[in-house]
Amino acid sequence: MTTHNTRNLYFDNAATSWPKPEAVYGAAEQYLRLACGNPGRSGYTRTLEADRLVYRTRAALASLLNAPDPGRIVFTLNATDALNLALKGLLEPGDHVLFTAMEHNSVLRPLGGLRRAGLINTTVIPCSEIGDPDLNFMEKSFQPNTRLLVINHASNVSGTIAPLDEMIESAHRHGVMVLVDAAQTVGTLPLDVTGSGIDLLAFTGHKGLFGPAGTGGLYVRGGLDLKPLREGGTGSHSEMDLHPETMPERLEAGTLNSPGLAGLLEGVNFISETGVLSIREHETALRARLHAKLREIPGVTVYGPAESSRCVSVISFTLAGIDCGEIGHILESSFDILCRTGLHCAPLAHQALGTFPQGTVRLSPGYFTQPDDVDYLLDAVTQITLLARR
Amino acid sequence: MGIYCYLTFPTTYFAIRAEDLLKSRPYHFKMVPVPRSISSSCGTALRCLCPDVSGIKRYLTENNVQIDGVHQLEEKVLKPPKLFTQKGKP
Repeated sequence: MTTHNTRNLYFDNAATSWPKPEAVYGAAEQYLRLACGNPGRSGYTRTLEADRLVYRTRAALASLLNAPDPGRIVFTLNATDALNLALKGLLEPGDHVLFTAMEHNSVLRPLGGLRRAGLINTTVIPCSEIGDPDLNFMEKSFQPNTRLLVINHASNVSGTIAPLDEMIESAHRHGVMVLVDAAQTVGTLPLDVTGSGIDLLAFTGHKGLFGPAGTGGLYVRGGLDLKPLREGGTGSHSEMDLHPETMPERLEAGTLNSPGLAGLLEGVNFISETGVLSIREHETALRARLHAKLREIPGVTVYGPAESSRCVSVISFTLAGIDCGEIGHILESSFDILCRTGLHCAPLAHQALGTFPQGTVRLSPGYFTQPDDVDYLLDAVTQITLLARR
Repeated sequence: MGIYCYLTFPTTYFAIRAEDLLKSRPYHFKMVPVPRSISSSCGTALRCLCPDVSGIKRYLTENNVQIDGVHQLEEKVLKPPKLFTQKGKP
């Protein structure tokens, strides 16, 4: 078995994207070395520059999401933090929440905690063996006290894209708000929060947006007020002992991760220059190549839709007779291929796909993955199946 | 001595959004630390010429920028000692 150190054998972009565009590294380093004023605090030139950087990042994200007002983009630590803010900032005792079986633990656990505390009720919308939500079930599940529908825009296990517009239309018809978890889609699928009528959209900075870890955000529709989860310093109205009510500071407190945002801005700029559709086209072709050849390898079972147009660049598979963790270990130790195995923090999704509790091997090529890298990976999986038959 | 007007904002976000929006408008302005005589709060104010205030306010309000207040101040023009001036500049 050979190793190919010149290849990009990182197939875990659904966990965090790598590599980043060159400008992302440079911007974060430059910020730490040369800038480093604390945004919103003091009034000297460096802090003003930091304020401008934070604003430009908000404005770039608002433009990418087609949000009319940059002030409705709130910075968070990551998508999990944004989802917690959305759920705990919106929901009131007695509310009912609908969510799909494809949700990540970042939705399942906060909702589970609220439910166990006796504050809310929830209903899971079942999903098919390829990850499609049962829309008939959803339609019948709206209750008079249903406040929110949570939709994982694309599954981090099977890559399945949810029928967002149809689900939003149905929720709004019932007077229910929609929270979209776009952890796997922002930067890789076109998103239009205004056109789609999305009420809340949570995203992370370190996946499709190519930013550093510790960045992310929540889009909050105009007119929608959330309770803050954190209160404290904002650099404004310091004489008041109450947190400001104006957005975005209402939902942000404490020093922002400005070096991270410097990197994130360059990631978003890279996406704007490259074009979301170009990124989408490249990744769809990689996923299609991977899917078509992977399913032909004897002993391999591939999960999720056959059509790559219905998926983001994520694919899950199992190999008969070999534990998925073992496959991941062999892929790294013998082929230098990096991927993620197990349950991917989405137990209900694995139940829907029929892969609970053993889990799957998840491959997620990214924008910097090349077709040759996919072919090398396919060859590695083939070699492992041959080993298994000895 | 010079007379300037200062616009203050509820948050830094609105201050920087105001700066960004006004870049494309024909006004002379500068972002400066909020003078202590206006507010004990930390933050950034927009300093401009007083005759421009009504036009600036109207434009910012049209663009949903919240303004806390407008203050007119007589500002001393301080001449920094030569020790601290940059080389080549008076």
